[in-house]
Amino acid sequence: MQPLNEDELSDRELDAILQEWKAPPAPAGLRASIFPASKPWWQSMWSASIRIPLPAAITVAMALAVVAWQWILPAAPPANVHELQPVAVLRPVIIRSGK
Amino acid sequence: MTPEKAFDEYHQAVYSFLYRLTRREDIAEDITQECFLALIRAPQRFDQTRGTMKTYLFSIARNLALKHYRDYRQEAPLEGQPKQAADPRGTLELRSAVAEAVAALPQLQQEALILFAYEGVTLEEIAGIVGADVGTVKSRIHRARERLRRTLVPYRKAGIKHATP
Repeated sequence: MQPLNEDELSDRELDAILQEWKAPPAPAGLRASIFPASKPWWQSMWSASIRIPLPAAITVAMALAVVAWQWILPAAPPANVHELQPVAVLRPVIIRSGK
Repeated sequence: MTPEKAFDEYHQAVYSFLYRLTRREDIAEDITQECFLALIRAPQRFDQTRGTMKTYLFSIARNLALKHYRDYRQEAPLEGQPKQAADPRGTLELRSAVAEAVAALPQLQQEALILFAYEGVTLEEIAGIVGADVGTVKSRIHRARERLRRTLVPYRKAGIKHATP
């Protein structure tokens, strides 16, 4: 038993009063700010980026341009031997010089 | 123990400690975040032989709070130079009065009292957290309680006036 003292609180009184001061709960978003959830791979692809050296980028761009150029231009039609017909009458023309 | 598990177990205790130390929810949140990020960045710094994860986190939180005080030049009263508590006969509610009275304690008494009275940390653990010996911690808590006994007398509650252990 503690002696009654009007100028001071007892241990029990002090403990009871101290417990009146409650701390608020931690914010709900705290965990997310510390441990951000990882996105699925297909969502990450939309924001994915790579770093390549400039010479490599130029080389790749030039190679793509060459491939595109060749694809756009019409290629010469190949000769079809089956479409060639023999000449029925051969009429050679002789061109003489000086006449 | 992984940082995620440490967070799940101790983030509320760390946040409460920092809230009572700073009396600001936003600062308590920021420092709690910094505290766990420090654990994530360098988990190898936690030495199980020197203490528990709980005391390690309180130790980081305490250091970050002190750094915050220094950086923002807030007045952290030195031991023996307490600030005056607000007049308890005013219109302050009991919880505000307790917060004010604890805030009026010198910094070293304040942190020891908060850890002991609110977070249930033992004297030995507090000694490890604040880097002092057990006797010093005991003395700080005793002096803090002595001061609060007098400061909070106007808030004495009916029914628990006479202590009967």
